[in-house]
Amino acid sequence: MNYVKSLKYLMILTLVSVAGIGLSVLAEDATGIMMKSHLAYYYAGDDGVADVTMTIADAKRERVKQFTMIRMDIEEGGMQKYYTYFKKPSDIARLTFMVHKDPKETDARWIYVPSVDLIKPISGDDKNSSFVGSDFSYEDVSGRHWNEDTHTLKGDSIWNDSPVFIIESIPNEAYKGFARKTSYIDKTSYLPVLEVYYNKKDKMTRIFRADKIETIDGFPTVTIRSMENLKKKRTTTVDFSSIRYNQKVTEKIFTERFLKTPPRQYIK
Amino acid sequence: MKNAGIILTLILMAGSTNLSAETYLDGFLQGLWGGRLDGKNPTATEYTVAETRLQMRLQHYGDGGEFFGRIDFTHDAADSVDYDWELREAYMKFSLGSKLDLKVGRQILTWGTGDLVFINDVFAKDYQSFFVGRDDQYLKAPQTAIRAEYYAGLGAFSAVWTPRFEPNRLPTGRKLSYYSPMEGSIVGEGFYLDPPTPEAKFENSELATRFSRQVGNFNTSLYFYRGFYKNPLGAVMDVFSIMPVYPRLNVYGASLRGTMMGGILWLEGGYFESRDDRDGDDPLMPNSSINGLVGFERQVATDLTANLQWQVDHMLDYDIFESQQMPGIYVRDETRHLLTSRITKLLNSELVRLSVFVFYSPTDEDAYVRLASSYKYTDEITIEVGGNIFTGKYDNTEFGQFQKNDNGYLKLTYGF
Repeated sequence: MNYVKSLKYLMILTLVSVAGIGLSVLAEDATGIMMKSHLAYYYAGDDGVADVTMTIADAKRERVKQFTMIRMDIEEGGMQKYYTYFKKPSDIARLTFMVHKDPKETDARWIYVPSVDLIKPISGDDKNSSFVGSDFSYEDVSGRHWNEDTHTLKGDSIWNDSPVFIIESIPNEAYKGFARKTSYIDKTSYLPVLEVYYNKKDKMTRIFRADKIETIDGFPTVTIRSMENLKKKRTTTVDFSSIRYNQKVTEKIFTERFLKTPPRQYIK
Repeated sequence: MKNAGIILTLILMAGSTNLSAETYLDGFLQGLWGGRLDGKNPTATEYTVAETRLQMRLQHYGDGGEFFGRIDFTHDAADSVDYDWELREAYMKFSLGSKLDLKVGRQILTWGTGDLVFINDVFAKDYQSFFVGRDDQYLKAPQTAIRAEYYAGLGAFSAVWTPRFEPNRLPTGRKLSYYSPMEGSIVGEGFYLDPPTPEAKFENSELATRFSRQVGNFNTSLYFYRGFYKNPLGAVMDVFSIMPVYPRLNVYGASLRGTMMGGILWLEGGYFESRDDRDGDDPLMPNSSINGLVGFERQVATDLTANLQWQVDHMLDYDIFESQQMPGIYVRDETRHLLTSRITKLLNSELVRLSVFVFYSPTDEDAYVRLASSYKYTDEITIEVGGNIFTGKYDNTEFGQFQKNDNGYLKLTYGF
């Protein structure tokens, strides 16, 4: 009887260990997938320049912003620098905005207001705050490090005729941006094609969709993306046109000198 | 006429330097109406402002450089109907080599770290606009100048040379009342004496310089200015009258600004050398002084940002100054303290903006509160409602003198 009991015990132990190893292998896969997705979406090429049209639409009206964005990767998966030059509407025309993003620390941000010749650093600890009044937050624009959440591979599916991974992510620390996120990651390009955000009451708050994916300069790119805010009943659609990668952008552009005098070789 | 000549030259220069050029034109139409809240204001008008303004902006850039022009056309109905125009900016921007940037022409200039508190920002201010609700861009008055900026490994060196002195624009009593030392009280219309600007000579030009360098997390700067006080703080007496003048001034200063404790911290200081009265014994000229400022700004909650500043203004040779004052009127302390705070809240995805700015001097016992709430109705149309409230125990302090100018305003802007 002792022998049977200990055999049973051994079997359970083995099963649990195998399952444990299996689960940890699965968990690694999930984190690995999210890491690849993050790099494919935020770190394509060494740098990128794009002309952006952002439309914020609700039931009553539509607002359109146009700007040019320059991104440079200082370290793959690490520090990045962003430069934005606003073109429309006319009350923000010629405003320039710069972010030095460091995943380990708070971002450093600056704005230049040409009508008063003022360079102003912006205090902003809150990565969850809206980027220029849209449904995308600063974190959506510059990225959330894959190590900030615990990821689980839930399975796979087909989305828009392409096979995708389904991954669930839960923040490691309580975060007001979301309590749970479900991502559909394209198996070929590793780009996120759908993301659903849930709050702590497990209610859907926002939905991200990759509306159009094209290959540009060899990099699969989400050229039209949208973020639907279910609470505000509003959608922000971002259309990237004339995207170019590996323009040999130099780090010196991300300085006060160029906040005042935009680099014309990238901004038309 | 002289300005037209400058614009024409700049356009021709811009036109001739390009192979690929682009031109952009935009602007706005704005209506601003403001009325005084204090019936006993001795000004000539009840409206503090009643104007329609059309601003046109032209930007033209090519491979060689850039031209930017900004012109305002106004129709002022606050007292007598008046049409006016002002060339706000007309400058040419280009580089010589890879390290030197130049900006030449009529331009708005700003540097220094303070938020509406100026120590090393020695560029002209427009208080007439500031007090009645005009846009932030009107706080600064344009200067016709040459600005050169040289970027070396050691740091950035800037120099601004303004050949003709540009003073601050101050209330004249027509729409905003102020304290007249000559009269010894707050006055409205009829007491304003236009101070003569220094003769147009090379030695009367203004030179403002700055050296900037990043040190760790902090942007540090050193400043030097040679020019004049922008307010007519001095006076000259002749046999028949006493005339206000702009006394000579040197400012030596420094500042640093950087991120700390989840927010932005800034520190600035300056020594104001009153060149016409270095010993402080001329009762008609301002004494030299030392000015210091510390400030901190932080995002306090989602879409809520607040800052706090503390400025200290220490007059040198104070005992001489004190002995020269007339009895019966308030005499400022040797060290004047000023506390300020700005709180801004954005609502409805940045479409609604509420802001309040408070200036408060515990030593002068006066204060100035600016309130503004704006709503971006569409991409083109913005509506703003605001007010300016002044209060003070005495009539002759910096904000106390404007205590009858309390006003509220409504502003509608259509941008295109």
